[in-house]
Amino acid sequence: MKHKLMIGVLFVLFGMSSLWAQTEPVEADSAVVDSTELYPAPVSHLRATDKPNDHGHAIVVEWETSADDGGGKNNVVLYQVFRSMSFDGPFDSVGTAPAGEGRFEDIGSKDRSSSSFIPDDTDLFYQIDAVTADPAIRTPSDILDPVQSSGQWFNTGRVPVLVAVLIFGLLTGIFVTSAKRGRELYVRPIGGIEAVDDAIGRATEMGRPILYVLGLGTAADVATIASFTILSRVAKRVAEYQTELIVPTYDPIVMSVAQEVVKSSYFDAGRPEDYKEECVFFVTQSQFAYVAAVNGIMLREFPATNVYMGKFYAESLLLAETGSLAGSIQISGTDEIAQIPFFIVACDYTLIGEELYAASAYLGREPKLLGSLKAQDWAKAAVVVLAIVGLVAANFGWLEFPTLFRVID
Amino acid sequence: MPNLGVIISLLIIFGGLAWLLFRSLTGREVKRRVIFVFIFVAVAAPILFPITFEEHATPVVRDLFDRIETLPRGSRVLISFDYDPAMAPEVQPMANAISFHCLTRGHKVVCMCLWATGQTLLSNTINDVILPEFPNIIDGVDYVNIGYKAGNEGVLNVIVSDFKKMFPTDVNGVPLDSVPIFDEINSCADFDLIVALGGGRPGPKEWVLFVGDPADVPVGVGVAAVVAPQLYPYYPRQIIGILGGIKGAAEYESELAHRHEQFADMDKPGLNMMGPQTLAHITIMAFIVIGNIAFFTGRRRKDR
Amino acid sequence: MNRSTYIVAAVVVLLFALSWVLHTLAMSGEADGVTRAFMVTMAAFLTLAIYSFLYKDNAFYKLAEHLYVGVSAAYWMCQGFWSTIVGNLIPRLSEGASNFFQQPYQASSWNVAYWIPVILGIMLLMRLTKNYGWMSRWPLALIVGTTAGLNFVRYLRSDFIVQVSSTFVPLLGDKELHPWLGFGAFVSNLDLSATGQLAALATNWVVFLGVICGIVYFFFSKEHTGVFGRASRVGIWILMITFGASFGYTVMGRISLLVGRITFLFRDWLGLIS
Repeated sequence: MKHKLMIGVLFVLFGMSSLWAQTEPVEADSAVVDSTELYPAPVSHLRATDKPNDHGHAIVVEWETSADDGGGKNNVVLYQVFRSMSFDGPFDSVGTAPAGEGRFEDIGSKDRSSSSFIPDDTDLFYQIDAVTADPAIRTPSDILDPVQSSGQWFNTGRVPVLVAVLIFGLLTGIFVTSAKRGRELYVRPIGGIEAVDDAIGRATEMGRPILYVLGLGTAADVATIASFTILSRVAKRVAEYQTELIVPTYDPIVMSVAQEVVKSSYFDAGRPEDYKEECVFFVTQSQFAYVAAVNGIMLREFPATNVYMGKFYAESLLLAETGSLAGSIQISGTDEIAQIPFFIVACDYTLIGEELYAASAYLGREPKLLGSLKAQDWAKAAVVVLAIVGLVAANFGWLEFPTLFRVID
Repeated sequence: MPNLGVIISLLIIFGGLAWLLFRSLTGREVKRRVIFVFIFVAVAAPILFPITFEEHATPVVRDLFDRIETLPRGSRVLISFDYDPAMAPEVQPMANAISFHCLTRGHKVVCMCLWATGQTLLSNTINDVILPEFPNIIDGVDYVNIGYKAGNEGVLNVIVSDFKKMFPTDVNGVPLDSVPIFDEINSCADFDLIVALGGGRPGPKEWVLFVGDPADVPVGVGVAAVVAPQLYPYYPRQIIGILGGIKGAAEYESELAHRHEQFADMDKPGLNMMGPQTLAHITIMAFIVIGNIAFFTGRRRKDR
Repeated sequence: MNRSTYIVAAVVVLLFALSWVLHTLAMSGEADGVTRAFMVTMAAFLTLAIYSFLYKDNAFYKLAEHLYVGVSAAYWMCQGFWSTIVGNLIPRLSEGASNFFQQPYQASSWNVAYWIPVILGIMLLMRLTKNYGWMSRWPLALIVGTTAGLNFVRYLRSDFIVQVSSTFVPLLGDKELHPWLGFGAFVSNLDLSATGQLAALATNWVVFLGVICGIVYFFFSKEHTGVFGRASRVGIWILMITFGASFGYTVMGRISLLVGRITFLFRDWLGLIS
C-alpha cells in the first residue's frame, strides 16, 4: 500500500512537471538542441566529367538539387562548389550556382601563373555545399571521386563546319583541275564588261582618253587583283584602237603591277612602241588628296570613259559625281557593299560585289579563277537546295534537319 | 505650340522648296551651292530653334533594351568602344545611354576598346556620365576601364578563351587578378552580355564572328548608320539588338527616359539631333521629288 | 596669289585671332583657359576651312587637308609603335627594355617564341631595300595564309552555315508568337502593326524569297532566261531595294555628322545655344 502510494505521488509529481513544461516552454539550451533540423538536405547524385570539346583545364560538375531547394523546409539559395587536388583538402571555392541549377562549369586558365589555373591530367576532387540564406548554415556533399581534365584534338560540335570545308574544298579542287585540263567552263556574259568595249569605241570616236581607277586597295586585295585582269583587257583594246589611257594609282606597289599589266597588254596587241610608261603613275596615298587629284584630271582631260574597278571607300561618290559632271560614261565595280549604292546611282554600269570577281574570271580565263568561280556556283546551288529543304522541314515539323546546322563550341 | 523661330524656319525652308520646284518646272538650272544652302538651313534652324519629336523604340532597339533591363542584378556586361571622333556624333549618345542603363540596373560593367581613338571617347563616357550620375560606384567593383589593346581580331582571338592574357592590368596598371569584377571572369564566355559600339573594322561584325558565335555569348551592337544595313542579316540570332545611327540612339534614349526617371533629367543628344535630322531628310526627299519632276518634264519638253 | 586673296586671308586670320581672344577672356577663370580657347578656335577654323570646299577649292581647304593628312599619319605611326611594339611585344621580351619604356614586365608571358614576330617584322621592313626586298614575301605569305585560314572557318560558320539555317523560317506563322489557326482566323484577327502576324509573315516570305532570288542573280554558270531569269529579276529588285535602304541610312549618317559639327560651331564656338 505504501509503495502504491509512493508510486502514485511520484506519478503525480512527474505529471505536474510535464504539464508545467507544456504550459511554460523552457528556453532551449543551444548546446543540447538537435541542430541538424536547421541544415538543408545535401545535393545528391554528384558527378563530374571533363568538359568536352575544349583545350582542357575545365571540368563540368552536375548534381541533383537539394530537397530543400525552392522553398523547402530550409530553403537553399545557392550551391557553392569547392575543388581540391587532394581528398583531404584544403578545398577552395571555385564558384557558385544559383538555386534550381544543377550544373556548374569549372573553367580554368591554361596559364600556369594564373590564379585560376587548372592542371590537366591531375586528380581533382569536388564537393558541393547546399547553402541557405545564412551562409554559415550549409550542408556539404560527399567528396566526389577524383576526375581529370584534358584537352581534345577535335571539337565535335564543329562537324558541320568541317563538312562544309571539305565539300567546298573538294568542289574547288575538282573544277580547278578540270579547267587546267582544258575543259570549257561556261560563265554567262556580264553586262558591265560588254559595255567596256562599247565605251572604248566611243572614246576612240570622240578622240578623248579613257580614265581607269584601280581604287584604294593594296595589291593583296582581291578586288584590286580582279581589277588588274580587267585593266589588262581595257589596255589591250586601247592599244588596238590607239586611244589614250590614264591610270592614276593610290598605292606604289599597285602602280608597279599596273605598269607591267598595261605594258604586256600593249605587247599582246602588237603595239609595244605605243606604250608610254607615264600613262600609269602614282598620285598620293592620302585618300582625299587622291580624290582631289583624280577629280582634277577629269575636269582637265574630260575623258570619254571612266572605269572604277577595285576597293573604294567614302570617295566613291565624289569620283563618280565629278565624272558625271565631265560628261563621261562610267563603269564601276567594287566589293565594298557600303559603296555599291553610290556607284549604282552615279554610274552607267555597275558590277555588284561578286560580279567583279566573275568579270575577272570571264576575261582572264585563268583556270584557278574559273575553277573557284564554278565551285562557288555549286555552293550557291547547294545553299538554295538546303534552304528549300530546311524551310519545308521547319514548317512540317522535321526538326532533326535544322539541328544538323547547329555549331556548338 | 511651336515657337516663332521654328515657324519662320519652316516657312523659309518650304518657301525655298516651292521656289526650287517652280524653277525646275520652267527648265532653269539650279546651282549646287543653292542645294548646300538649303541643307545648311534645314540643319541649322532646328538647332537654333529646337524641334523635338517623340520617339518609340522599334523591335531591333527594344530587344537590346529589354535584355539589359531584364538581366539579373550583378550581371557582367562588356562594352567595347570601337569608334573614332568621326563616328562619335552618332555612337557617343548610344555609349552614354547604354553605360547609364547598365549601371542603373546594377550590372558590372567592363569597358574596353579595340580602336586607339576609342580611349578618349571611353573616358568621355566615364567622366560625363558614369562618375557624375553614380558618385557612389567603385572602380573595380562596379565598373572597370581596361583600356585599349592593339591587335584587332588578334585580341578577340585571345580574349575569347583567356581574357587576362591580353589584358593583364586595367588602365591604371592594377592587375586584373586583384580587380573584384574579374574574380569570376576568365574569358569572354563568362560575360552575360557584350555590347559592341562602332562601325569600322574591327567592329561589331568581328565581335560576332570571333567572340559571339564561338563563345555563345549574346552580342548587342550600336553602330554608325553606314554600317547598320550590313548587320541586319545577323539579327536576331547572332546579334540580339541593333542601334543603327542617331535614330537608334534616339529610340534608346526615349525608352530609357520612360523607364528611368534619373535619365529623363539628363541631356539626350540623340533625341535633340532628331529635329535637324528630320527636317534635313524632308528637304532631301523634296529634292528627290523635285528632281524627278524636273527630269520627266524636261524629257517631255525635248520630245515635243 | 593676287591682292584680293591676301586681303581675304588677312581678314580670316584676324577674325579667328579675335575669336581666340574672346574665348580666352570667357574662359579666363578656368585652368588651361588659353589652351582650351585655342583648341576651340582652331577646331572651328579647320571645320570651316574644310567646308569652304563646297564653294570652291582654296588655300584654306588645302591647308586643313594637308594638316589632317600629316597629323593623322604621325598619330598612327606613334600609336603603332607605342601600342603594338611597346605595349604588346617589349613587355614579353625583356625586363630591361620594359623598364626603359616604363612598361610593366610580364614575366609570366615570357616565351622565346615571341622573337619570331620580331624577326618576321624586320624581314617585312626589308621591302624598303632594293637587294633584300624578296625577304618581305615570306612574312607576307605567312600573314595572308594565317589570316585566310583563321577567317575561312569563322566566316564559313557565321556568314554561311548560321545564315543558311536562319532562312528556315515559318511561312505560316511561328508556333509561339503567331500560331497559324487557319485563313479565316488570320483574316478576322488581322493586325497591321509592326509586331502583328501579317508583318511577321511578310517578313519571313521576303527573307526566304529574297535570299533564294538574290543567290540566283549571282549564279554565273547559267544564262538568266526563263524561270531562272525571272527569279534573277526578283533578286535584283530585292538587291536594289536593299541598296536604296543602305543609301538612305548612309545619308542619315552623313547628316548626323553635319548636325554634330554645326552644333559644335553654334554651341562651343559661337555660344548661340546652351
